[in-house]
This record gives sequence, structure tokens and C-alpha cells, in this order.
Amino acid sequence: MPPLIPPSRREALRLLGAGITLAAGGCSKPVEEIVPYVRAPEQLLPGVPVRYATALSLSGWARGVQAIAVDGRPIKIEGNPLHPASLGATDVFAEAAILDLYDPDRSRTVTERVNGIASWDMFERALSAPLASVRGAGGRGLHLVTGRVTSPTLARQIDALLRALPEAVWHVHEPIDEANAARGAELAFGRPLRALPRLDRAETILCVGADPLGPDPDQIRLARAFSERRRDPARFGRLYVAEAALTLTGIKADARRALHPVDQLALLAAIANALGAGLSAPELPEEARRFARVAAADLTEHEGRALVLAGPALSPEAHALAHWINARLRAPVDYIAPPDRIEGRTPASLADLAGALDRGSVTCLAILGSDPVASAPADLDLARRIERARFSVHAGLHGDETAGATHWHLPLTHELESWSDLRATDGTASVVQPLLRPLYDGRSLHEILPIFAGRTATAGYALVRETWKDRGGADFEAWWRRSLHDGVIEGSAAPLVDPGEPRLPALPEIRRQEGLTVELRPDPCLWDGRFANNAWLQECPKPISKQVWGNALALSRKEAGRRGIEAGDVVRASAGGRAIEVPVVIESGIAEGVGVLTLGYGRQRAGAIGNGIGADAYGLSTQDTPSLLTGIELARTGKSETILRTQNEVQVEGETEKLFRQIDLAALARAEPKGIGDDQPTLLSPWKSDADGHAWAMVIDTNACIGCNACVLSCQSENNVPVVGPEEIARGRMMHWLRVDLYDAGGSEAPRAGFQPVPCMHCEHAPCEPVCPVAASVHDGEGLNLQVYNRCVGTRFCEANCPYKVRRFNFFGYADGQPYANLGAESVRAQRNPNVTVRARGVMEKCTYCIQRIASERQAAERDGREMGAVATACQSACPTQAIRFGDLAKPGNAIAELRKDPRHYALLEELNTRPRTTYLANLRDPHPDLKEDHA
Amino acid sequence: MSGAADAHRQPHRWIASERLGYAEICAAIADPIQKRGPGRAWMIAFLGVLPFVLLTLGAIGAVLTVGIGLSGVNTTVVWGFSIANYVWWIGIGNAGTLISSMLLLTRQHWRASINRFAEAMTLFAAAIAGIFPIIHLGRPLYAYWLAPYPNTMDLWPQWRSALVWDFWAILSYLLFSLIFWFTGLLPDLATLRDRAQTRFGQRVYGALAFGWRGSARHWALYETFHKTMAALAVPLVCSVHSIVGLDFAASLMPGWQESIFPPYFVVGAMYSGFAMVVLLAIIIRWGLKLQAVITPAHFDAMAKVMLFASLVMTVSYATEWFMGWYGGEHADRSVIAFFFTGDYRWLYYSLLFCNCLVPQALWFSRIRLNLWALAIISVVINLGMWLERILIVWNTLSHGYAVSLWRSYHVSLYDVVILLAPLGLFAFGFLVLARIFPIVSIHEVSQIAHDEGAAKGKAA
Repeated sequence: MPPLIPPSRREALRLLGAGITLAAGGCSKPVEEIVPYVRAPEQLLPGVPVRYATALSLSGWARGVQAIAVDGRPIKIEGNPLHPASLGATDVFAEAAILDLYDPDRSRTVTERVNGIASWDMFERALSAPLASVRGAGGRGLHLVTGRVTSPTLARQIDALLRALPEAVWHVHEPIDEANAARGAELAFGRPLRALPRLDRAETILCVGADPLGPDPDQIRLARAFSERRRDPARFGRLYVAEAALTLTGIKADARRALHPVDQLALLAAIANALGAGLSAPELPEEARRFARVAAADLTEHEGRALVLAGPALSPEAHALAHWINARLRAPVDYIAPPDRIEGRTPASLADLAGALDRGSVTCLAILGSDPVASAPADLDLARRIERARFSVHAGLHGDETAGATHWHLPLTHELESWSDLRATDGTASVVQPLLRPLYDGRSLHEILPIFAGRTATAGYALVRETWKDRGGADFEAWWRRSLHDGVIEGSAAPLVDPGEPRLPALPEIRRQEGLTVELRPDPCLWDGRFANNAWLQECPKPISKQVWGNALALSRKEAGRRGIEAGDVVRASAGGRAIEVPVVIESGIAEGVGVLTLGYGRQRAGAIGNGIGADAYGLSTQDTPSLLTGIELARTGKSETILRTQNEVQVEGETEKLFRQIDLAALARAEPKGIGDDQPTLLSPWKSDADGHAWAMVIDTNACIGCNACVLSCQSENNVPVVGPEEIARGRMMHWLRVDLYDAGGSEAPRAGFQPVPCMHCEHAPCEPVCPVAASVHDGEGLNLQVYNRCVGTRFCEANCPYKVRRFNFFGYADGQPYANLGAESVRAQRNPNVTVRARGVMEKCTYCIQRIASERQAAERDGREMGAVATACQSACPTQAIRFGDLAKPGNAIAELRKDPRHYALLEELNTRPRTTYLANLRDPHPDLKEDHA
Repeated sequence: MSGAADAHRQPHRWIASERLGYAEICAAIADPIQKRGPGRAWMIAFLGVLPFVLLTLGAIGAVLTVGIGLSGVNTTVVWGFSIANYVWWIGIGNAGTLISSMLLLTRQHWRASINRFAEAMTLFAAAIAGIFPIIHLGRPLYAYWLAPYPNTMDLWPQWRSALVWDFWAILSYLLFSLIFWFTGLLPDLATLRDRAQTRFGQRVYGALAFGWRGSARHWALYETFHKTMAALAVPLVCSVHSIVGLDFAASLMPGWQESIFPPYFVVGAMYSGFAMVVLLAIIIRWGLKLQAVITPAHFDAMAKVMLFASLVMTVSYATEWFMGWYGGEHADRSVIAFFFTGDYRWLYYSLLFCNCLVPQALWFSRIRLNLWALAIISVVINLGMWLERILIVWNTLSHGYAVSLWRSYHVSLYDVVILLAPLGLFAFGFLVLARIFPIVSIHEVSQIAHDEGAAKGKAA
């Protein structure tokens, strides 16, 4: 230590000066440049949400949405009422798209496999050599791979590119591609056609392996049509379902048979024969024969209002046969020319690409917006074959498996960041408009494609407008604005065509093979795997198995017992040298000799959320049979896994059946509405918590609910509900404010099940309130049961005392300091709804009936000096079938009070005298008298 | 009772030795503190419990920093080990005051030699019990919101909540136990002051003795005060555990909403409390060589209380089953069926074995007088009572009304630590106490020696 000497005068002054400077510096403005709005953008009001109509794609097909942005930050997706594939509702994928936008694992820059981070310029320079050689050969050696193209702009660009380079090859790879349906239509009508079944007009419906209500780009439209018709008991009709394992459609069926896929074709043939097809009589088990007989009689009886649908796993011949049957039944089906075709061009397949790669004739491979390495059948072995391309580039949202196999990777912009256009399944076109500037250095497909044509980069905006220039007519700007505003381009739906008389196809000889048949299905949460890195979807319970964070091979109890497999056992499923390891789950309603596995799991390069979760079903599939695998061998590995589920008990019997009221259609006339138990005597003081003039209430129609989970994700998105992750799920914890329960009152082989969404009941006599020691659980003056987060100390007595178990506790700071994986990243936080508190560790939370939406409407009404209008909760606005209704009981003539008088009305556990504000309408079904023993 | 005493062949039931005079009683109790060092056994025990103390502190630190998610509680079974431990420790705490007060009031003089450490046991157990409701909270730092303190938000506790009642019950019980224990200690503190070897000892004990001189007036005041407090203690003992019972009973969950809960909890508390006293008495008697003042007759008497409590508990269980069935409510019946067939059925069978079956051995005087057997039975009873508490929490919460959310508890490492480590904290408290204060009441034992006519010489 230096000797302590008093500072000299100079030193003292210097120190004094330094001190003053430091003190002044400490109070100075931050060094970062902040820019206030010198000229505020017009119409942008701070804190006021703005809605933009746009469209999101699922396997290329558009669902129109309205994206809600606050201060330029998209936070929520809602449906677009004007769009035919949305009708104002959403599905899980649309809801979750907002999280995809903010996914921290999205690729941010151009990368080169060896040197890592690169730039667009570097890519263009690297591309110039292979492109020059390709161009010299008229395009020979250039291979483009895309997903399904419905975008008129993209189609136009591809068409232009192929015209300029006629030898170039365009491949389309869509993992869930409806190929059998397309080939079946061609088989039946001799030309490509797309069938649009009209479930609003069809009353008697037979689904053979088909799941029209299940996850699909068309789910919303079909489910809405189905449930709207069924609201009218006179047009309830009857739904017959024969399928390998339970689907959402199977749950709604009035008569259902678990049927091996091989027998499904036989069933269709039996129906056709009943209509005079005269096909060679196929073998069918006795039970299925009776089913076929009854269904055929019912279908013919309702000619003109009857419909048969064949499943995607069935062969093209089966689809053709279904078309033939539908023609005989004069079924309500519209036919259009497939909107995903480029006129005069037939895209090549991935198999063609594999061949070209093997021949070494691929000079330049561009895989744009598709992930074939992860999602192509295993026997194509694309990861290895892509190595043989001289130059390969992948464009995608993530640096996924395909990016790992190519030389270059280009970041794509999200659909909410870019200009584009898309067509819905009925051909309706929408303009996709961006809500914000690209977060990262990405470009859209439209902006990337010109690079391959050797043209300079053009903005996506100009390209899209260019496409529609002719369409807009004289006043293009007005037309353009209207199209953007509405989210649909008027009159762009494909015209209906008369398909002509379908041919009766020759049925292939089919024999039951030894070993297990495995049906691969699109995952209700991850679809084909493209959503694997979306934590909301990973944690969204699968509608029927209620499994989260993984997939499993579903077997029937008998089948598993026969093979000595128990639930949770990990088996090695193998066929033809391909094998995967997958845990087994036992489900009811699965046919003998069949297993069902969903696609999209087992990703290796999905990101921090999706990596290594579940088993990769693509690893078993082949080009010939992408979705129906036969002759699968199962071998036990000796390992076992806990299947993570959010609901363990499904079976209800006796008294617990009251939880899920089911009425046969025949008994509906005799049914009496059940109240909420407010006629019971009570010692409690009279109810007076609606003093402020409103009495909010919700009625959920379980008959309309198809269990699609759109409400669950909508609630999660709206209310900043955190993801807890698989470890927490394994400990029995979850955070969803709204859960969709599945209850089954039938036997394990003959399910009689239905869905019941359960939000908070907002009980008038809420059991959570008197037990809270600090009054964090209280009632307001509008009948809402509130949870005051900043008053909660976390005793959890409220949840212990809640008979409905709807409260959710932050055991850790899931949203606040202790997030799962990378969900604490800055970008994820941008998704949060600024009107909803982000809950801290140690507090209880629950459904609020979207109180922030009520408050917004109240403020708007007060501002405008009018009565409050309708308020839609997030779950309600998402529901494709409008099963959830919300309203104000205090308002004269409100629809909710009417619904409470419906003969199907009942309250959950009304005997407890909790007087719930959320009540239900019973499930209806109309079993055929001759098939009633199903439900014994 | 006399038979058992006779069987042991000693001149006096509650004082074993013929040679013990007042001075010797005094010396036997005070000298280990004042004249002798801690000794090997004490040191070993002290070092043995120290890791447990650190583990307890570590677990508390962890749960405060990481969150209550460390426990195995889940969305359905939101309560777990913390609550069961709390009820168990409060139960242990009950017997101390019970022995001191109820037995004092009913003039059961034999209590003299055990009441001091029974009261200390109460104090430590209630203090440890008090930790659990706090660390069980999601936000323990706001535990004080349960107290009615004036604040700018004009917010008060929600008085209808059983947890607020519970807050008062624990608080008053803890304060009462402290005062009651200290009151009984006053004359002995004066004795220690008078016998102190060092100036420091004289000062500390002198300060604590509040100027006790042993005058007749002091004794008269003391007797009045102590007896009044004892009279107050009886309702308090009942109220504290009744209210713990109300934590469950004042709900609407099947298996909790039962009017039998308050009395059933009180008896259960005494049951486990007595078992703990017996265990501690055996250890302390051996550790401090107090065979002279803690006699087999004491154990015999306590064993009989335990036997009686066991019968009451068995009847309570049976009543619960019967009423569940007879009430006709599906949910209640379903929970009772879940006791016997559900995920925790083996624990439930163990609980019946521990609480109902094993204590029946106490019908035999040979078992009652065999300290090894008694120690084992006491441990078994305490185990059984803990199982009872955790099963009350688990069974109802795992199998409530919402069928879709039925799920079971997953025990975590943290749970195991907060179950076992506080036992070390408890022992730690005793070890420290035994080095500071007389662990057996000098003046009351002298009194009993006098009453029994066993005393020689003059009072100390």
C-alpha cells in the first residue's frame, strides 16, 4: 500500500472535478438513441389494438385471420369472419402462429455450412457460378422444391422461371398431401378435381377412415357446417364412422365401429354393392356387415342428403368408390378444379428428385420453404442424397434438418412479416399482409425466387400487386385497399364444375398382412412437424389421448395385451429395415391389428423446444405407403417411459356420468333444463354481486364442441398463459386456464364420449373465496370471480377447495424469471398481451372471462356514450363451432338467458350449491336402434 | 395402576430412589448443567444433529429462492408435505401443554418430572410447525398479510378463512407455550442463580429469574398464576388443533368436509404428542441419568393414555367410513373407496397398522414397562400419525369432484428433506436447552418427593 499522504491542492481540485463530472454523468441521458414519433403514424394510437386482415397457411392452404397488433407488435390471431376457411374462427395452428413469429430459434441470417454466418450478397455470389452453368443448359440441373403452392404470385413466379428455364424441374413436397384423394378423383372423373363436401346439407354421413372434423386446413369450415346443421334437432341426422382409431369425428359419431383399414375398403364396397355396384363381395366381420347394412339403408333413405367420405389413408380406388357412391346418393358435394395447380404444369415428386440426385444431374438444388429431410419417407434417404447436389440451398424459418443437409441456408420471413397471397381450399384468394418489418434478415419466397431467375431483388409488395394488377380493374388502389381490409379477394372462389358421372373403379385385391398395420396421421398439435418448435402446440393436449410433449403408438387394450405390452413400454417398431423406438399408449376404440401414430415428432433440428421430443413416424414410412404401413413388427426394448398427459381419468360411470350429461335425440323432447341450483335452500346471504348492472355468464354447448383445442390456445395467447415444459407436466402441473375434458360413458371398446371445455365457473357462491385468508379471491359487482394477483400469497387453499379444479398455480416463475427452455427470450416477451398481467411466481391464476375485453368494451361504450355491446371472450372467438357463448344475463333479451332455458341445459356439480355462471348444454346423439348394442 | 408399580418393586411410585433428598434432587438436575461439561454423548449427539440443522436451513433457503415448485405439489394436489408436517408438528406440540396443564389441574402429580421437557417439546414443536405454513406459501415474504395490521391499502385479512383462524391459533399457542414454560421455570432459574459457579451464570440466571426469592408471597402468586394459565391452556390446546382440523373441515371437498374433524384432530394430536413425550422421556432419562425421577410408573401411565387415544382414533376412522357410506353422497363414498383401493392404499393400510393395531400391545403391562417396546411403539405411532396427516391431504385432493383432474402426488427430494431434517432441528433445540436450563422441574420434583415422603433432609 502506498503511504497515505494528503493530496496536494492540484490533486484535490482534480479529484473534486472528477467527482462532479462523474456525478453529472450519472444523471445524464442514456447513450442509446431513442427516437420519438416526430410525426406520429396516422391512426396508430398508443395502446389501442389494431386489427389487420391477413391469411396464414397450413400445408399451403389459407385460413383467413385478423392479426391484432398493439403498438406495432402483433400479439394475437383471431379469425376473419369474411373468409370462407375461417368464418371468424381459428384453429390451433393459426392461434399458435403468433408464437412462431417470435420463436427465438428462428434463423436470423444467411448461413453457409462451412463458414457459418454469411450475407445475402455472399449467397448471390456463390450462386452465380452454378446458376450460370444451369442457365447455359436451359435450366437443366436446376431443381426447385417447394411445398404446396396456392399463392397466385408464387405460382406466377415459378411459371415464369420454368418458362425461362424450360429444363428446370419443379418438385412439390407436402408431407400431408391428400394424394390418395386427388388420385381417387382422377380415377373417378378422369381429371383432377377437388371435392368440397357440404356438411351443412348432408344429414346422414358415413365417414370411412375420414376425419372431417379433425385437424385440417378445412377443419373450421367443415366443423362449422356440421355443428350449425346439428343445432336444429330436425336436421340432426346421423353420423356413422368406421375408423381405425378414435378421431374427433369418431367422438361425435352416433354409430361408430373400430375397423381395420383393410376392412374399411371392404365396408365401402359393401355400401356400394347395396347401391347396386355389383362388386365382388368382400369379406367383412359380422359386426361390420351389420353396420354396413344399417348405414347403407340409412344413406339410401336420405338420398340427396347423404354423404360418404373416405379417409386419407385409404387407397385411391377407395376414394373413387366413395365418389361413385356419392353420385348414386346425389350427395351434396361440390367439385372444383384443384386451386393448388399451376396451369399446364405437373410438379415432379421427391422420388424424381432422389433419382436425379442419384444420377448426379442436380447442379443447383433449391429447397424453398419445405423441410423434406425431416418429413420425407425414410426410404428416400434425402439427407444423404442431397449431398450429391453440386450446389444446394434451403430457405426456411428455421435452420432445420434440410438446412443441415444443404450448402446454404436462407432465412425466410414469417407470414406475418411478409407480403404474399394464398388460396383457401375452395380457391378463395387472400392477400397476406405483413404486420411488422421482418424481425431478422429474412426474405419471403417471392423475394428469393427472382434470385434464381437472375433478376434483381424486388420487394414482395410489388410482386404481389403485380399479380393482381389486372384483377383490380380501373380503380386498382381502391380494390387493393378493400381486398386488404376484407382479407379476401372478392369473387376469387373457384367456380364449381360439373364432375360428370364417376366411373366405378376396379377394386384392388387386398389381403390382410401379417403383423401390425400402422396408420400415420397428422398430429393434432404439430401437424406434419412444422410446428415442432412451438411450445404452445407441444403443450397442447392431444384431443383424445390428452398427451403433451410427445407422441406414442396407440394400441387397443386387447392388442397390447396379446403382445404383452403395457402402456408406457417403449417398443421398437420395424419394417423393411426401417425402425423407430416409440412408447405405447393404450386407447379405447382402436381396431384389432392396428396401431396409430402421429407425424411430426422426433425432430433433430427443430430448435430448443422441439428437439428430440417424441418419435419420428416418418422414419417408418415409405414412398409407396406414406400413411398406411403394413407388416410392422413390434419388439419390446425393455425400456419404459411416462406418457405425459393432462388428463388421466376419462371413464365416467354412475354418479360421475352427471359431469357429462348426454341425451339421446329421441329423449330430447322429454328433457328438462336443469338450473344452477339456485332453487335450493341456503344459509348464505342472498346473492347481490350483480349490483353494477351486469351479470356475465357463459354457456358451453358440449354437443357442438369438437375438442379441437382452438379455445385452449386462444386463451393461452390472449391471457399470457405460460408454458410449463415436460418436466413440470410430469410432476402434474399445468397452466392452461381452459382445459377440454374428454369423458367417456361407454366401454373401452365402444366409446360413448364427448368433449367438455372447462374454464372457471365463476360460481356465485364461489368456494375459493371464503377460504382465501387475504381476500385475493373476490367477487366483483358484475358476477365475476376475480383473482387479485398482487394480493395472493399462494396458500393454494382456493384450488384445494375448488370442486372444478380450474385454478392454476405458478409453482415456479413460468412466465416471470423461470421460463421453460428459451421461452424467456426477449422476442417471446413481445407476444404478451399488454392488457393482461404477467403473473409472478407463487400466485394463483385462473380464467377471468377475459376481463380485459370486458373492460375495453366498457371503456369504448363510455367513450361513445352508448350501452355496452357484445363482448367475446378469447375462447369464444376462436371456437370453430361456436360452442362457447358468452353474455350478460342482466341485459334484457340476451341470448345467454335463453340458452339457460334450453332443455339440454345443466350446471356442473350443481348439487354443491356453488351456482356456477359457466353452464353447459348436454351432448346429443342419435344412435340407430339396430346398432344400439354398441353402447352397452 | 398400583399393580404396575408393585411389579417394579419400588418404595415410591413417582420417585425411584430412597436415598434422594432435596439437595440431591437439586444436584441431580442442576449439576449436569453447572458443574459438569457436556460430555461425550452430548457432543456426539450435537455433532450428529448439526447437519440436519444445516439441511433444514438449506431447504428453507432453497424454497425461498427457487420456489415452492421444489415440493411435489401439483395442480390438483396443491398441498403436500408442508401441510402434513405442519399438522404433525403441531400435534407433537400439543401433548406438552396438555401434560402440564390438564394433568396439573387434575392433580396428576406424576407429571412433575416430565412436564418441563414436555413443555419445551411443545415450544420447539410449535415453533417448527410454524415454519411450514410459511414455507408452503407461494410468496412467503407476504406471510404477514395474514396479520391484521393497519395499512395504507385499508386491507384486512379475510376473516372467514380457516387459515386466518389458524394463524391466530398458532400464534397464540406459541406465545402461550413460551410464557407457560417460562413461568414454570422461574423458581428453578432462581435455584440455578443461587448455585451458579460463575459471575456470568449468576448474572444471566439472575436476570432471567426476575428476582425470585422464594418467599411465601412469591409462591402464592406463582401458584395462582400457574394454575390460571393451566386452566387457560386446556381450551387453547383443544382450540389449536380443532382449528387445524377446520383448515380441512371448513371446505367443501369430500373427505374433508366432516364435522368429526376438530375432535378427531385434537385426539390425534394428543396421541402423537404422548408418543413423542414417551420417546423423549426415554432418551432424556437415559441421557441425563434421571432414572430416579422418571420412573416406570410414568411410562405406564403415559402408555395407558396412548392406548386410550389409539382406541379413540380407531373409532374415529370407523366413524369416517361409516358416515361416508351412510351419508349417501357419491363423492364421499368414492373418496372412502379411494382410501382402500386408490394410489395410496398401501400407505393407508400402514396407517391403520401403525395407529390402530400396533398400540393394542399396550394392553399388556409387560409391554408398557418395557422401554424398548415402548420406544418402538411410540415411533410407530408417530409414523402412523404422519401418514394420517399426509393421507388426509392426498386422498381428498387426488380424488375430488373433477374426475378429469384426478392425479397423484410425486414426492420430491425437497419433500424428504423437510420431512426428516427438522427432526434434527428439534433435537438440536433440546440439546441446547439441556445445557442451559434444568430439563426436569427441580421444585416440582422436590414437591413430589416431599409428598411421597421420600425426601431426606431439608429443602434446597
